[in-house]
Amino acid sequence: MGKFILKRFLSIIPLLLGITFLVFILMYAAPGDFLSEARASKDISKERIEEMEREFGLDKSWHIQYALWLKNVLTLNLGESWAYKVPVEDLIGQRIVATLVLSITSLFFAWLIAIPLGVLTAIHKDSIFDRLTSILAYAALSIPEFFLALLAVFFAASTGLFPIGGRTSIGHDFLAPLAQFFDYVYHLILPTIVLGIGGIAGMMRIMRANVLDYLRAEFVTTARAKGVPEGWVMFKHVLRNAINPLISAFGFAFSGLLSGALLVENVMNYPGLGQLIYSSFLKQDQYVVMAAVVIGCVMLMLGNLLADLLLGWTDPRIRLEK
Amino acid sequence: MKYSILYKILIITVTAAFIIINSACSPPIEIERTDYPLPEDVEITDASLGERGEIFILSEKSEPNSFNFLSIEDAYSREAISRIFDGLINYDAIEEKHIPGLAKSWEVSEDNKSYTFQLRRGVLWSDGEPFTADDVIFTFDAIFAKAPNPETGILEPRYPSRYIGQYTIAGEPIKYEKIDDYTIRLTTADIYAPFINDVGFVTIIPKHVLNESFKDGSLLKRWTTQTAIESPHEIVGTGPFSIYSYRPGERLVLKPNLHYWRADKSGQRLPYVSFLIYKYVADFNTQTVLFATGQTDAAGISATNVAWISESEKRFDFTIHDRGPDTGISFIWFNMHPGKNKDGENYLESHKLNWFREKKFRQAVSYGINRPGIVKAVYFGRAKPLSSIISPANKKWHNAHTKKYDYNPDKSKNLLQEAGFTYRNDGILADENGIPVEFELLVPDGSQRSSAISTTFMENMKAIGINVRLSYIDFGALIDRTGKTFAYDAAMMAFTGGGDPSGGKAMYRSDGFLHLWHPEQSEPATAWEARIDEIIDAQERTLDESKRIELIHEMQNIFSDQMPLIYLVTPNAYSGVKNKWNNIQVPPIGSILWNLDEIWTLKDNG
Repeated sequence: MGKFILKRFLSIIPLLLGITFLVFILMYAAPGDFLSEARASKDISKERIEEMEREFGLDKSWHIQYALWLKNVLTLNLGESWAYKVPVEDLIGQRIVATLVLSITSLFFAWLIAIPLGVLTAIHKDSIFDRLTSILAYAALSIPEFFLALLAVFFAASTGLFPIGGRTSIGHDFLAPLAQFFDYVYHLILPTIVLGIGGIAGMMRIMRANVLDYLRAEFVTTARAKGVPEGWVMFKHVLRNAINPLISAFGFAFSGLLSGALLVENVMNYPGLGQLIYSSFLKQDQYVVMAAVVIGCVMLMLGNLLADLLLGWTDPRIRLEK
Repeated sequence: MKYSILYKILIITVTAAFIIINSACSPPIEIERTDYPLPEDVEITDASLGERGEIFILSEKSEPNSFNFLSIEDAYSREAISRIFDGLINYDAIEEKHIPGLAKSWEVSEDNKSYTFQLRRGVLWSDGEPFTADDVIFTFDAIFAKAPNPETGILEPRYPSRYIGQYTIAGEPIKYEKIDDYTIRLTTADIYAPFINDVGFVTIIPKHVLNESFKDGSLLKRWTTQTAIESPHEIVGTGPFSIYSYRPGERLVLKPNLHYWRADKSGQRLPYVSFLIYKYVADFNTQTVLFATGQTDAAGISATNVAWISESEKRFDFTIHDRGPDTGISFIWFNMHPGKNKDGENYLESHKLNWFREKKFRQAVSYGINRPGIVKAVYFGRAKPLSSIISPANKKWHNAHTKKYDYNPDKSKNLLQEAGFTYRNDGILADENGIPVEFELLVPDGSQRSSAISTTFMENMKAIGINVRLSYIDFGALIDRTGKTFAYDAAMMAFTGGGDPSGGKAMYRSDGFLHLWHPEQSEPATAWEARIDEIIDAQERTLDESKRIELIHEMQNIFSDQMPLIYLVTPNAYSGVKNKWNNIQVPPIGSILWNLDEIWTLKDNG
């Protein structure tokens, strides 16, 4: 097992090198740089611009810039944000909680709805309920996330039932701790639904197909023939097996924990990592963007690893060593 | 049993939701304010007496990058900092003159080079420590500090900032000295007219808080956004507000500085509002919507949005003030750079260079632009044709009698023919070698307005036989091509304006890096550019304002005659404020909230 994990960790190195290299070249080739705006300001002198170019290493060619960045990363130094003059890890630390909370709640929301729905539609296969849920699921799957977010903002604005974006209300700092907590919850509802809805459809369909498969499996028929109670059959034999593919899906979901909410955060003005990354990208605040890419990459690898480990644990037929 | 637990949870949730909704509407906003004694040199405002309390909510596009004035370059950070810190000199936006800030008075020496400032006595920093001349000296020390480069050993600025360049006058950094605890003297190497104006830009920072970091070299790492999140009380200023809390990406909450040095006529310390909150909303449209639905107290409104927002003026009880023309200028210019690139090729084909350097060609283009049409179609009448390099909003400096280019395609054609161009049978303009006149115009993408304006321009040029190709490119790429590689024919851009005309030096002077059409000339390329250089120098070297205005007017005449920049239109500026706020005074230019410390409202009893 240890060997397996180690191998996985080693395999990430070429992957990281490749991806960061690509992103670096793309950023370099993109028109303008971090100083574009300053260059067009009347009150910033040429000398100051040149000074900043030296400070940020923008006067060097791209491969030297990349080598410098790589050298820093190897010493676990992600660099400093050019705009905020703060170490990148601090900047990410400022935002990470907001994004994690949103990702986790939306993940739970999606699972909480998708699993029971999947099972129910499988049991009542071809009923009106099944058909209706399928239609709704496809509809949800085909609406782009950002559009759903826009609809949610519009809904909040026209009904006044929910806050229009943000993570806390204006008076948040003056509330009692418990009220502050509920203020967070209140602001989380819409983004959670928007972010979760896309996942529901896919997971529900997987769940439904699996349950249907196992309902027809011979060991289920055997169990029923032995007179095992129906609830027991469903829970212990069908569900237990049908849920396996969802565990690998969980791995993928994990990889999106920090970067999956980018669009929703920007549309709904939710102050998380996605918003920071997006604005850093527009400003070409290089080290922040690079750090975001590295994090996304590492999370993807960890997510996959986690999924494999979980599968190995739940499904005795899988052997990780080979 | 199970159900009763569910029931309880439901009840708790619903109750909590009610608490939140109620508290969100009327948060307990009153704070206890300790009334410390007023400083000896307190400034008493003339504004009408008000009462304390309530929150003022504003929205901004972008959050501050830092609260350290030495490490910021952008306007959003400057806005936040301006509420927390003061300079020696302030600006009265209504009277349009410089007024005392942390310095209660100043004197200019006979040779017009030295300025002696008397500082306010008894002023305290927001942490209660006294403010003295040492803090001012410390601030200038921080700006001009030098340290040897670890690799080369050459002395370099230790805390590089834009201020070093700004306070280097006639090639020498200004001299600053402490006369006594409440007197300092600043000396410039040569007479420099905008000096008092520029001194106002430096926000004074406290020596007792930052001296340690100044000595160990970590000054630029102090007072970052991280500080504002973790320990806002460490950020100490003399301004009307200090930081209460900061949430990245969300909002900055400011509270009154209990040691502020301004008070009203009854001796009550300003500011009146209990909290000033900046909400950060990245999207400009969302910001406008927030104001239009009564969720923020004031906002700048673009000319194209006025019509629909004014519909809810009554419902949300606000007023939109028409501020007249905006201070910015927008224009098109031609590449007139005669140089060669690294490979020895001309930046611009020589025939194009000949067209663009022909004054009559540029004038003809200017006559050919239908500015009234742009005003009507793009801004629905809420704009004016622009005729000078200084916007009419800058009343003190604007010259209203420069050459005007009223829309006149026939005159364009005549001018072009006078300059040796001819019209072919198909109506296309060609130069004396028979080359048809056409060029590419770079337009920064992303703005609906600039694309509407550039399309109109293209049509207008077609009417006088010139073929224009529009190229929408990223702003960064535009800066690159017009300022570095010079691989372009013509481009369109807008600049913000306002303030002292010396601030536009980088654009006006022939050796300036923003002398867009031909930047950084070693010698002025033309006689008129040489004259402008002379004017810029001359107006800086006299403290006689009427003389300066005369010179700046002459400069505008030259620009409007030569047309290196072909001006377009300038939209009107609008600002909206809720009617419940008193003491709002709308200045001709600049922020409508210039006197935010004096603004107050009756307590909301509802």
